[in-house]
Amino acid sequence: MARVPGQVDARATVIAALAFILAVALMPAGAYVAMAAAWLLVATAGALRGIAPLTLARRGGIVFPFVLAALPLIFIRSDEVIWEGLVGPLSLHVSGVGLRIALSALLKAWISVQASIVLVATADAPTIVVALRRMRLPDAIATSAGLTIRYLELLRDEAQRMLRARAARSVSPVGVGGERVGGSIAWRARTTGNLVGSLFLRAYARAARVEEAALSRGATGSLSTGSLPTADRYLGVKVLAAVALLLALSAFGQVVPRL
Amino acid sequence: MHLPDGFLAPQLALALWVATAAIVGFALRRLSASSDEASAAQRPILMGIVGAFIFAAQLFNFPVAAGTSGHLLGGVLAGYLLGPWAGTIVMTTVIGIQALIFQDGGLLALGANIFNMGIIGTLGGALVARSIATALGGSRVATIAAAGVAGWLSVMAGAGVTTLQLGLSGTTDVSIGLPAMLGIHALIGIGEGLITIAALTFIATTAPDLLTLGAPTRASATRRILVGSGISLLVAALAALFASADPDGLQRVALTLGFHTAANTPPFELFPGYTIPGIDSATGTLLIAVVGVGIIFTAILLLSRIAARRGRQ
Repeated sequence: MARVPGQVDARATVIAALAFILAVALMPAGAYVAMAAAWLLVATAGALRGIAPLTLARRGGIVFPFVLAALPLIFIRSDEVIWEGLVGPLSLHVSGVGLRIALSALLKAWISVQASIVLVATADAPTIVVALRRMRLPDAIATSAGLTIRYLELLRDEAQRMLRARAARSVSPVGVGGERVGGSIAWRARTTGNLVGSLFLRAYARAARVEEAALSRGATGSLSTGSLPTADRYLGVKVLAAVALLLALSAFGQVVPRL
Repeated sequence: MHLPDGFLAPQLALALWVATAAIVGFALRRLSASSDEASAAQRPILMGIVGAFIFAAQLFNFPVAAGTSGHLLGGVLAGYLLGPWAGTIVMTTVIGIQALIFQDGGLLALGANIFNMGIIGTLGGALVARSIATALGGSRVATIAAAGVAGWLSVMAGAGVTTLQLGLSGTTDVSIGLPAMLGIHALIGIGEGLITIAALTFIATTAPDLLTLGAPTRASATRRILVGSGISLLVAALAALFASADPDGLQRVALTLGFHTAANTPPFELFPGYTIPGIDSATGTLLIAVVGVGIIFTAILLLSRIAARRGRQ
Protein backbone atom coordinates (compact mmCIF):
# COMPACT_ATOMS: atom_id res chain seq x y z
CA MET A 1 0.00 0.00 0.00
CA ALA A 2 1.50 3.30 -1.07
CA ARG A 3 1.27 5.85 1.70
CA VAL A 4 1.27 9.58 1.29
CA PRO A 5 3.57 11.21 3.87
CA GLY A 6 1.60 12.95 6.57
CA GLN A 7 -1.67 11.28 5.56
CA VAL A 8 -1.54 8.57 8.18
CA ASP A 9 -2.46 9.06 11.81
CA ALA A 10 0.71 7.88 13.52
CA ARG A 11 -0.23 8.90 17.04
CA ALA A 12 -0.59 5.32 18.26
CA THR A 13 2.87 4.44 16.90
CA VAL A 14 4.49 7.44 18.57
CA ILE A 15 2.78 6.76 21.91
CA ALA A 16 3.68 3.07 21.76
CA ALA A 17 7.34 3.87 21.12
CA LEU A 18 7.45 6.34 24.02
CA ALA A 19 5.67 3.88 26.34
CA PHE A 20 8.14 1.19 25.39
CA ILE A 21 11.16 3.41 26.03
CA LEU A 22 9.72 4.48 29.40
CA ALA A 23 9.13 0.83 30.35
CA VAL A 24 12.72 -0.03 29.48
CA ALA A 25 14.00 2.97 31.47
CA LEU A 26 12.03 1.81 34.52
CA MET A 27 13.64 -1.65 34.52
CA PRO A 28 15.93 -2.10 37.52
CA ALA A 29 19.63 -2.64 36.98
CA GLY A 30 20.45 -6.28 36.46
CA ALA A 31 17.03 -7.29 35.09
CA TYR A 32 18.70 -8.76 32.02
CA VAL A 33 15.92 -11.28 31.37
CA ALA A 34 13.37 -8.48 31.06
CA MET A 35 15.76 -6.51 28.85
CA ALA A 36 16.15 -9.54 26.59
CA ALA A 37 12.36 -9.78 26.38
CA ALA A 38 12.16 -6.08 25.53
CA TRP A 39 14.77 -6.53 22.82
CA LEU A 40 12.82 -9.45 21.35
CA LEU A 41 9.76 -7.22 21.27
CA VAL A 42 11.52 -4.39 19.44
CA ALA A 43 13.26 -6.86 17.11
CA THR A 44 9.86 -8.34 16.24
CA ALA A 45 8.44 -4.91 15.50
CA GLY A 46 11.52 -4.19 13.39
CA ALA A 47 11.23 -7.45 11.48
CA LEU A 48 7.59 -6.63 10.71
CA ARG A 49 8.85 -3.40 9.14
CA GLY A 50 11.44 -5.35 7.18
CA ILE A 51 14.52 -4.58 9.29
CA ALA A 52 16.66 -7.64 10.00
CA PRO A 53 17.33 -8.05 13.75
CA LEU A 54 21.09 -8.02 13.33
CA THR A 55 20.96 -4.88 11.20
CA LEU A 56 18.82 -3.28 13.87
CA ALA A 57 21.23 -4.42 16.59
CA ARG A 58 24.20 -3.07 14.66
CA ARG A 59 22.55 0.30 14.02
CA GLY A 60 21.72 0.49 17.74
CA GLY A 61 25.46 0.34 18.37
CA ILE A 62 25.72 4.10 17.91
CA VAL A 63 25.08 4.46 21.66
CA PHE A 64 28.02 2.26 22.69
CA PRO A 65 30.57 5.09 23.07
CA PHE A 66 28.34 6.56 25.74
CA VAL A 67 29.20 3.74 28.15
CA LEU A 68 32.39 5.71 28.86
CA ALA A 69 30.28 7.83 31.22
CA ALA A 70 29.44 4.84 33.39
CA LEU A 71 32.81 3.11 33.15
CA PRO A 72 34.44 4.74 36.20
CA LEU A 73 31.70 3.28 38.42
CA ILE A 74 33.07 -0.20 37.82
CA PHE A 75 36.37 0.69 39.44
CA ILE A 76 35.26 3.35 41.92
CA ARG A 77 32.43 1.65 43.75
CA SER A 78 33.64 -0.49 46.59
CA ASP A 79 30.56 -2.68 47.09
CA GLU A 80 30.43 -6.30 45.96
CA VAL A 81 34.04 -6.48 44.86
CA ILE A 82 34.31 -9.37 42.42
CA TRP A 83 37.94 -8.97 41.42
CA GLU A 84 40.92 -7.31 42.97
CA GLY A 85 44.45 -7.14 41.76
CA LEU A 86 47.40 -5.22 40.49
CA VAL A 87 47.54 -3.88 36.96
CA GLY A 88 51.08 -2.62 36.57
CA PRO A 89 51.61 -0.10 39.35
CA LEU A 90 47.85 0.32 39.96
CA SER A 91 45.85 -1.64 42.47
CA LEU A 92 42.41 -2.08 40.93
CA HIS A 93 39.17 -3.65 41.98
CA VAL A 94 36.04 -4.39 39.99
CA SER A 95 32.72 -3.70 41.69
CA GLY A 96 29.82 -5.99 40.83
CA VAL A 97 27.34 -3.20 41.48
CA GLY A 98 29.24 -0.79 39.25
CA LEU A 99 29.46 -3.40 36.52
CA ARG A 100 25.72 -4.03 36.76
CA ILE A 101 24.84 -0.32 36.56
CA ALA A 102 27.11 0.29 33.57
CA LEU A 103 25.96 -2.79 31.68
CA SER A 104 22.26 -2.12 32.39
CA ALA A 105 22.49 1.52 31.27
CA LEU A 106 24.26 0.44 28.09
CA LEU A 107 21.67 -2.25 27.31
CA LYS A 108 18.76 0.11 28.01
CA ALA A 109 20.26 2.77 25.75
CA TRP A 110 20.88 0.18 23.05
CA ILE A 111 17.32 -1.24 23.21
CA SER A 112 15.72 2.24 23.33
CA VAL A 113 17.59 3.54 20.32
CA GLN A 114 16.44 0.49 18.35
CA ALA A 115 12.87 1.36 19.30
CA SER A 116 13.30 4.82 17.80
CA ILE A 117 14.90 3.33 14.68
CA VAL A 118 11.80 1.16 14.26
CA LEU A 119 9.57 4.20 14.89
CA VAL A 120 11.23 6.14 12.07
CA ALA A 121 10.99 3.11 9.79
CA THR A 122 7.26 2.87 10.56
CA ALA A 123 6.34 6.52 10.14
CA ASP A 124 8.39 9.01 8.11
CA ALA A 125 9.38 12.41 9.43
CA PRO A 126 6.42 14.47 8.11
CA THR A 127 4.00 11.82 9.39
CA ILE A 128 5.57 12.00 12.86
CA VAL A 129 5.35 15.80 12.85
CA VAL A 130 1.65 15.61 11.91
CA ALA A 131 1.07 13.06 14.68
CA LEU A 132 2.78 15.37 17.17
CA ARG A 133 0.63 18.26 15.96
CA ARG A 134 -2.44 16.18 16.72
CA MET A 135 -0.94 15.60 20.16
CA ARG A 136 -1.00 19.37 20.77
CA LEU A 137 2.57 20.16 19.80
CA PRO A 138 2.53 23.99 19.63
CA ASP A 139 2.00 25.35 16.14
CA ALA A 140 5.21 27.41 16.06
CA ILE A 141 7.29 24.32 16.79
CA ALA A 142 5.40 22.13 14.32
CA THR A 143 5.79 24.70 11.54
CA SER A 144 9.46 25.20 12.34
CA ALA A 145 10.08 21.44 12.49
CA GLY A 146 8.29 20.80 9.22
CA LEU A 147 10.34 23.45 7.41
CA THR A 148 13.58 22.35 9.03
CA ILE A 149 13.01 18.81 7.78
CA ARG A 150 12.13 20.10 4.32
CA TYR A 151 15.27 22.24 3.93
CA LEU A 152 17.65 19.95 5.78
CA GLU A 153 19.02 18.07 2.79
CA LEU A 154 19.34 21.20 0.71
CA LEU A 155 21.39 23.15 3.24
CA ARG A 156 23.43 20.08 4.10
CA ASP A 157 24.41 19.64 0.48
CA GLU A 158 25.33 23.31 0.38
CA ALA A 159 27.46 22.89 3.52
CA GLN A 160 29.14 19.83 2.10
CA ARG A 161 30.03 21.65 -1.11
CA MET A 162 31.58 24.43 0.95
CA LEU A 163 33.55 21.93 3.02
CA ARG A 164 34.84 20.24 -0.12
CA ALA A 165 35.89 23.56 -1.56
CA ARG A 166 37.66 24.41 1.70
CA ALA A 167 39.45 21.04 1.79
CA ALA A 168 40.58 21.54 -1.80
CA ARG A 169 42.01 24.96 -1.07
CA SER A 170 43.25 25.38 2.43
CA VAL A 171 42.36 23.90 5.75
CA SER A 172 43.16 20.31 6.51
CA PRO A 173 44.98 19.02 9.57
CA VAL A 174 47.85 17.42 7.71
CA GLY A 175 48.91 17.50 4.10
CA VAL A 176 49.77 14.58 1.88
CA GLY A 177 53.30 14.34 3.14
CA GLY A 178 52.25 14.77 6.77
CA GLU A 179 53.08 18.47 6.89
CA ARG A 180 50.66 20.88 8.45
CA VAL A 181 48.51 22.80 6.03
CA GLY A 182 46.78 26.06 6.74
CA GLY A 183 47.50 28.66 9.37
CA SER A 184 47.14 28.83 13.12
CA ILE A 185 44.13 27.53 15.02
CA ALA A 186 42.65 31.02 15.12
CA TRP A 187 43.08 31.27 11.35
CA ARG A 188 41.41 27.92 10.79
CA ALA A 189 38.56 28.82 13.12
CA ARG A 190 38.09 32.09 11.26
CA THR A 191 37.99 30.29 7.91
CA THR A 192 35.34 27.92 9.26
CA GLY A 193 33.41 30.78 10.85
CA ASN A 194 33.34 32.61 7.52
CA LEU A 195 31.80 29.53 5.92
CA VAL A 196 29.19 29.34 8.68
CA GLY A 197 28.44 33.04 8.22
CA SER A 198 28.04 32.78 4.48
CA LEU A 199 25.88 29.69 4.83
CA PHE A 200 23.66 31.70 7.15
CA LEU A 201 23.37 34.50 4.61
CA ARG A 202 22.39 32.00 1.92
CA ALA A 203 19.84 30.41 4.26
CA TYR A 204 18.49 33.86 5.10
CA ALA A 205 18.18 34.84 1.44
CA ARG A 206 16.34 31.60 0.77
CA ALA A 207 14.00 32.20 3.70
CA ALA A 208 13.23 35.68 2.37
CA ARG A 209 12.39 34.24 -1.06
CA VAL A 210 10.19 31.51 0.43
CA GLU A 211 8.45 34.10 2.63
CA GLU A 212 7.68 36.27 -0.38
CA ALA A 213 6.37 33.31 -2.32
CA ALA A 214 4.23 32.21 0.62
CA LEU A 215 2.88 35.72 1.14
CA SER A 216 2.00 36.12 -2.52
CA ARG A 217 -0.02 32.93 -2.25
CA GLY A 218 -1.93 34.21 0.74
CA ALA A 219 -0.08 32.49 3.60
CA THR A 220 -1.00 33.73 7.06
CA GLY A 221 2.08 32.76 8.98
CA SER A 222 1.34 29.22 10.02
CA LEU A 223 2.18 26.43 7.64
CA SER A 224 0.27 23.87 9.63
CA THR A 225 -3.21 24.92 8.65
CA GLY A 226 -3.58 22.10 6.14
CA SER A 227 -6.14 19.43 6.91
CA LEU A 228 -5.07 16.72 9.29
CA PRO A 229 -5.40 13.11 8.19
CA THR A 230 -8.47 11.20 9.27
CA ALA A 231 -8.16 10.22 12.89
CA ASP A 232 -7.24 6.66 13.60
CA ARG A 233 -10.52 5.02 14.63
CA TYR A 234 -8.76 2.52 16.84
CA LEU A 235 -6.53 5.08 18.53
CA GLY A 236 -8.04 4.50 21.98
CA VAL A 237 -7.63 0.75 21.70
CA LYS A 238 -4.06 1.03 20.44
CA VAL A 239 -3.04 3.48 23.18
CA LEU A 240 -4.61 1.23 25.81
CA ALA A 241 -2.69 -1.71 24.36
CA ALA A 242 0.53 0.34 24.47
CA VAL A 243 -0.04 1.30 28.10
CA ALA A 244 -0.89 -2.30 28.98
CA LEU A 245 2.37 -3.30 27.31
CA LEU A 246 4.23 -0.69 29.37
CA LEU A 247 2.71 -2.02 32.59
CA ALA A 248 3.32 -5.66 31.68
CA LEU A 249 6.89 -4.96 30.64
CA SER A 250 7.80 -2.97 33.73
CA ALA A 251 6.06 -5.51 36.00
CA PHE A 252 8.05 -8.22 34.26
CA GLY A 253 11.20 -6.21 34.85
CA GLN A 254 10.45 -6.16 38.57
CA VAL A 255 9.75 -9.87 39.05
CA VAL A 256 12.48 -11.48 36.96
CA PRO A 257 15.54 -12.53 38.92
CA ARG A 258 18.31 -9.94 38.74
CA LEU A 259 21.81 -11.02 38.04
CA MET B 1 26.49 15.51 24.64
CA HIS B 2 23.19 14.11 23.38
CA LEU B 3 22.16 11.82 26.24
CA PRO B 4 20.73 8.53 25.01
CA ASP B 5 17.87 6.82 26.85
CA GLY B 6 18.81 4.43 29.62
CA PHE B 7 21.42 6.56 31.37
CA LEU B 8 19.04 8.94 33.15
CA ALA B 9 16.81 7.88 36.03
CA PRO B 10 13.28 7.95 34.56
CA GLN B 11 12.05 10.26 37.33
CA LEU B 12 14.78 12.79 36.55
CA ALA B 13 14.11 12.50 32.82
CA LEU B 14 10.40 13.21 33.37
CA ALA B 15 11.15 16.12 35.73
CA LEU B 16 13.40 17.68 33.09
CA TRP B 17 10.65 17.18 30.50
CA VAL B 18 8.32 19.18 32.74
CA ALA B 19 10.90 21.95 33.25
CA THR B 20 11.68 22.06 29.51
CA ALA B 21 8.02 22.19 28.53
CA ALA B 22 7.40 25.06 30.94
CA ILE B 23 10.34 27.14 29.68
CA VAL B 24 9.69 26.42 26.00
CA GLY B 25 6.02 27.29 26.60
CA PHE B 26 7.14 30.61 28.07
CA ALA B 27 9.38 31.23 25.05
CA LEU B 28 6.43 30.55 22.75
CA ARG B 29 4.31 33.06 24.65
CA ARG B 30 7.08 35.63 24.34
CA LEU B 31 7.17 34.98 20.59
CA SER B 32 3.46 35.45 20.07
CA ALA B 33 3.52 38.57 22.25
CA SER B 34 6.12 40.17 19.99
CA SER B 35 4.53 42.65 17.62
CA ASP B 36 7.60 43.72 15.65
CA GLU B 37 6.93 42.57 12.08
CA ALA B 38 10.59 42.52 11.11
CA SER B 39 11.78 40.45 14.08
CA ALA B 40 12.45 36.76 13.74
CA ALA B 41 9.59 35.99 16.12
CA GLN B 42 7.01 36.87 13.49
CA ARG B 43 8.70 34.89 10.75
CA PRO B 44 7.99 31.16 11.08
CA ILE B 45 9.53 30.37 7.68
CA LEU B 46 12.78 32.05 8.66
CA MET B 47 12.84 30.08 11.91
CA GLY B 48 12.32 26.78 10.08
CA ILE B 49 15.06 27.46 7.53
CA VAL B 50 17.46 28.67 10.22
CA GLY B 51 16.79 25.33 11.97
CA ALA B 52 18.00 23.56 8.82
CA PHE B 53 20.98 25.97 8.77
CA ILE B 54 21.95 24.98 12.33
CA PHE B 55 21.85 21.31 11.30
CA ALA B 56 24.08 22.02 8.31
CA ALA B 57 26.40 24.31 10.28
CA GLN B 58 27.07 21.48 12.73
CA LEU B 59 28.85 19.76 9.85
CA PHE B 60 31.49 22.47 9.82
CA ASN B 61 34.46 21.27 11.74
CA PHE B 62 37.92 22.59 11.81
CA PRO B 63 41.11 20.76 12.66
CA VAL B 64 42.50 21.71 16.09
CA ALA B 65 45.39 19.28 15.87
CA ALA B 66 45.84 16.13 13.83
CA GLY B 67 43.13 13.70 14.88
CA THR B 68 40.88 16.05 16.82
CA SER B 69 38.58 18.66 15.46
CA GLY B 70 36.41 21.37 16.84
CA HIS B 71 32.90 21.77 15.57
CA LEU B 72 29.97 24.03 16.06
CA LEU B 73 26.86 23.37 18.17
CA GLY B 74 25.37 26.71 17.21
CA GLY B 75 23.27 27.34 20.31
CA VAL B 76 24.56 30.84 21.05
CA LEU B 77 24.75 31.64 17.34
CA ALA B 78 21.05 30.82 16.90
CA GLY B 79 20.15 32.80 20.01
CA TYR B 80 22.16 35.72 18.72
CA LEU B 81 20.86 35.76 15.18
CA LEU B 82 17.20 35.27 16.04
CA GLY B 83 17.01 36.51 19.61
CA PRO B 84 16.94 34.27 22.71
CA TRP B 85 13.27 33.23 22.43
CA ALA B 86 13.09 32.44 18.73
CA GLY B 87 16.56 30.87 19.00
CA THR B 88 15.38 28.61 21.82
CA ILE B 89 12.42 27.42 19.74
CA VAL B 90 14.70 26.73 16.78
CA MET B 91 17.18 24.76 18.92
CA THR B 92 14.31 22.85 20.56
CA THR B 93 13.15 21.85 17.09
CA VAL B 94 16.65 20.91 15.96
CA ILE B 95 17.34 18.77 19.04
CA GLY B 96 13.90 17.18 18.73
CA ILE B 97 14.48 16.25 15.09
CA GLN B 98 17.93 14.91 15.94
CA ALA B 99 16.36 12.58 18.52
CA LEU B 100 13.25 11.59 16.57
CA ILE B 101 14.72 11.12 13.15
CA PHE B 102 18.46 10.64 13.53
CA GLN B 103 18.53 8.80 16.89
CA ASP B 104 20.99 11.37 18.16
CA GLY B 105 19.87 11.43 21.79
CA GLY B 106 17.03 9.50 23.42
CA LEU B 107 13.31 10.27 23.40
CA LEU B 108 12.76 10.01 27.15
CA ALA B 109 16.01 11.93 27.54
CA LEU B 110 14.87 14.53 24.99
CA GLY B 111 13.58 16.83 27.73
CA ALA B 112 17.01 16.72 29.35
CA ASN B 113 18.81 17.27 26.05
CA ILE B 114 16.67 20.29 25.16
CA PHE B 115 17.22 21.59 28.67
CA ASN B 116 21.00 21.16 28.56
CA MET B 117 21.62 22.44 25.04
CA GLY B 118 18.58 24.45 23.97
CA ILE B 119 17.68 26.17 27.20
CA ILE B 120 21.02 26.44 29.02
CA GLY B 121 22.94 26.75 25.74
CA THR B 122 20.76 29.03 23.64
CA LEU B 123 18.47 30.86 26.05
CA GLY B 124 21.04 31.08 28.85
CA GLY B 125 23.89 31.63 26.38
CA ALA B 126 22.16 34.43 24.49
CA LEU B 127 21.05 36.18 27.68
CA VAL B 128 24.57 35.92 29.14
CA ALA B 129 26.02 37.20 25.85
CA ARG B 130 23.73 40.22 25.92
CA SER B 131 24.57 40.99 29.53
CA ILE B 132 28.30 40.73 28.90
CA ALA B 133 27.97 42.91 25.79
CA THR B 134 26.07 45.54 27.75
CA ALA B 135 28.65 45.41 30.53
CA LEU B 136 31.45 45.86 27.99
CA GLY B 137 29.83 48.96 26.59
CA GLY B 138 27.71 47.57 23.79
CA SER B 139 30.00 48.33 20.85
CA ARG B 140 30.03 45.92 17.92
CA VAL B 141 33.36 44.38 18.91
CA ALA B 142 32.13 43.93 22.49
CA THR B 143 28.92 42.35 21.26
CA ILE B 144 30.71 39.80 19.13
CA ALA B 145 33.36 39.04 21.75
CA ALA B 146 30.57 38.50 24.29
CA ALA B 147 28.97 35.95 21.95
CA GLY B 148 32.29 34.08 21.81
CA VAL B 149 32.58 33.98 25.60
CA ALA B 150 28.95 32.86 25.87
CA GLY B 151 29.61 30.18 23.26
CA TRP B 152 32.42 28.76 25.38
CA LEU B 153 30.33 29.01 28.56
CA SER B 154 27.33 27.32 26.92
CA VAL B 155 29.42 24.27 26.02
CA MET B 156 30.93 24.10 29.52
CA ALA B 157 27.59 24.56 31.30
CA GLY B 158 25.91 21.98 29.08
CA ALA B 159 28.64 19.42 29.74
CA GLY B 160 28.67 20.13 33.48
CA VAL B 161 24.91 19.90 33.91
CA THR B 162 24.77 16.73 31.81
CA THR B 163 27.37 15.13 34.08
CA LEU B 164 25.50 16.22 37.21
CA GLN B 165 22.32 14.67 35.81
CA LEU B 166 24.15 11.42 35.17
CA GLY B 167 25.54 11.60 38.71
CA LEU B 168 22.05 12.07 40.14
CA SER B 169 20.90 9.08 38.11
CA GLY B 170 23.71 7.01 39.58
CA THR B 171 25.21 6.20 36.19
CA THR B 172 28.46 8.09 36.50
CA ASP B 173 30.97 8.97 39.13
CA VAL B 174 30.89 12.74 39.38
CA SER B 175 34.27 13.13 41.07
CA ILE B 176 35.88 11.58 37.97
CA GLY B 177 33.32 12.42 35.33
CA LEU B 178 33.00 16.14 35.96
CA PRO B 179 36.68 17.09 35.70
CA ALA B 180 36.98 14.83 32.64
CA MET B 181 33.93 16.27 30.89
CA LEU B 182 34.78 19.86 31.73
CA GLY B 183 38.39 19.30 30.69
CA ILE B 184 37.43 18.00 27.26
CA HIS B 185 34.71 20.57 26.76
CA ALA B 186 36.97 23.45 27.71
CA LEU B 187 38.75 22.67 24.41
CA ILE B 188 35.59 21.96 22.42
CA GLY B 189 34.16 25.20 23.77
CA ILE B 190 37.11 27.18 22.42
CA GLY B 191 36.20 25.91 18.95
CA GLU B 192 32.58 26.90 19.52
CA GLY B 193 33.55 30.36 20.75
CA LEU B 194 36.00 31.06 17.91
CA ILE B 195 33.62 29.90 15.17
CA THR B 196 30.76 31.91 16.71
CA ILE B 197 32.95 35.04 16.74
CA ALA B 198 34.12 34.50 13.16
CA ALA B 199 30.63 33.77 11.83
CA LEU B 200 29.15 36.86 13.52
CA THR B 201 32.04 39.03 12.30
CA PHE B 202 31.42 37.80 8.77
CA ILE B 203 27.70 38.53 8.99
CA ALA B 204 28.29 41.91 10.64
CA THR B 205 30.63 42.88 7.81
CA THR B 206 28.56 41.52 4.95
CA ALA B 207 25.00 42.19 6.06
CA PRO B 208 25.03 44.27 9.26
CA ASP B 209 21.27 44.85 9.21
CA LEU B 210 20.64 41.12 9.74
CA LEU B 211 22.14 41.29 13.22
CA THR B 212 19.16 43.31 14.37
CA LEU B 213 16.80 40.37 13.77
CA GLY B 214 17.15 39.25 17.34
CA ALA B 215 17.65 42.69 18.80
CA PRO B 216 16.37 43.03 22.35
CA THR B 217 13.28 45.01 23.09
CA ARG B 218 13.84 47.70 25.66
CA ALA B 219 11.42 46.38 28.26
CA SER B 220 13.04 42.99 28.51
CA ALA B 221 15.87 43.95 30.88
CA THR B 222 14.01 42.99 34.05
CA ARG B 223 12.85 39.75 32.51
CA ARG B 224 16.41 39.06 31.44
CA ILE B 225 17.60 39.29 35.02
CA LEU B 226 14.69 37.18 36.25
CA VAL B 227 15.39 34.46 33.71
CA GLY B 228 19.14 34.59 34.29
CA SER B 229 18.69 34.30 38.03
CA GLY B 230 16.18 31.53 37.47
CA ILE B 231 18.73 29.55 35.50
CA SER B 232 21.42 30.16 38.13
CA LEU B 233 19.03 29.02 40.84
CA LEU B 234 18.23 25.89 38.88
CA VAL B 235 21.91 25.10 38.57
CA ALA B 236 22.40 25.78 42.27
CA ALA B 237 19.36 23.64 43.12
CA LEU B 238 20.73 20.77 41.06
CA ALA B 239 24.01 21.09 42.90
CA ALA B 240 22.32 21.29 46.28
CA LEU B 241 20.28 18.20 45.54
CA PHE B 242 23.43 16.52 44.61
CA ALA B 243 25.16 17.61 47.80
CA SER B 244 22.47 16.31 50.09
CA ALA B 245 24.53 13.11 50.04
CA ASP B 246 21.55 10.77 50.00
CA PRO B 247 18.94 9.86 47.43
CA ASP B 248 16.39 11.70 49.58
CA GLY B 249 17.09 14.90 47.69
CA LEU B 250 15.80 13.53 44.45
CA GLN B 251 12.90 11.90 46.22
CA ARG B 252 11.97 15.25 47.68
CA VAL B 253 11.92 16.71 44.20
CA ALA B 254 9.88 13.74 43.09
CA LEU B 255 7.46 14.49 45.93
CA THR B 256 6.98 18.11 44.98
CA LEU B 257 6.60 17.23 41.34
CA GLY B 258 4.03 14.58 42.09
CA PHE B 259 6.07 11.55 41.28
CA HIS B 260 6.13 10.42 44.90
CA THR B 261 3.66 7.63 44.35
CA ALA B 262 5.79 6.35 41.53
CA ALA B 263 8.92 6.73 43.60
CA ASN B 264 7.64 5.09 46.75
CA THR B 265 5.85 2.03 45.50
CA PRO B 266 8.32 -0.81 45.05
CA PRO B 267 7.74 -1.34 41.30
CA PHE B 268 9.16 2.08 40.60
CA GLU B 269 11.83 2.22 43.25
CA LEU B 270 14.07 5.20 42.65
CA PHE B 271 17.53 3.96 43.47
CA PRO B 272 17.07 0.35 44.47
CA GLY B 273 19.63 0.13 47.22
CA TYR B 274 22.06 2.48 45.54
CA THR B 275 23.60 5.58 46.94
CA ILE B 276 24.82 8.36 44.71
CA PRO B 277 28.51 7.68 44.32
CA GLY B 278 31.29 10.16 44.69
CA ILE B 279 30.02 12.28 47.56
CA ASP B 280 33.16 13.29 49.38
CA SER B 281 35.21 16.37 50.05
CA ALA B 282 36.07 16.70 46.37
CA THR B 283 32.36 17.03 45.64
CA GLY B 284 32.07 19.69 48.30
CA THR B 285 34.68 21.77 46.51
CA LEU B 286 32.88 21.18 43.28
CA LEU B 287 29.59 22.23 44.77
CA ILE B 288 31.14 25.47 45.94
CA ALA B 289 32.42 25.98 42.40
CA VAL B 290 28.97 25.46 40.89
CA VAL B 291 27.26 27.76 43.37
CA GLY B 292 30.06 30.25 42.82
CA VAL B 293 29.41 30.23 39.09
CA GLY B 294 25.74 30.84 39.82
CA ILE B 295 26.58 33.81 42.04
CA ILE B 296 28.99 35.29 39.50
CA PHE B 297 26.41 34.80 36.75
CA THR B 298 23.76 36.62 38.79
CA ALA B 299 26.26 39.32 39.69
CA ILE B 300 27.14 39.89 36.02
CA LEU B 301 23.47 40.23 35.18
CA LEU B 302 22.82 42.68 37.99
CA LEU B 303 25.97 44.70 37.29
CA SER B 304 25.19 44.99 33.60
CA ARG B 305 21.71 46.18 34.51
CA ILE B 306 23.27 48.89 36.65
CA ALA B 307 25.76 49.71 33.90
CA ALA B 308 22.99 49.98 31.34
CA ARG B 309 21.03 52.36 33.59
CA ARG B 310 24.10 54.48 34.21
CA GLY B 311 24.82 54.57 30.50
CA ARG B 312 21.38 55.85 29.68
CA GLN B 313 21.54 58.77 32.12
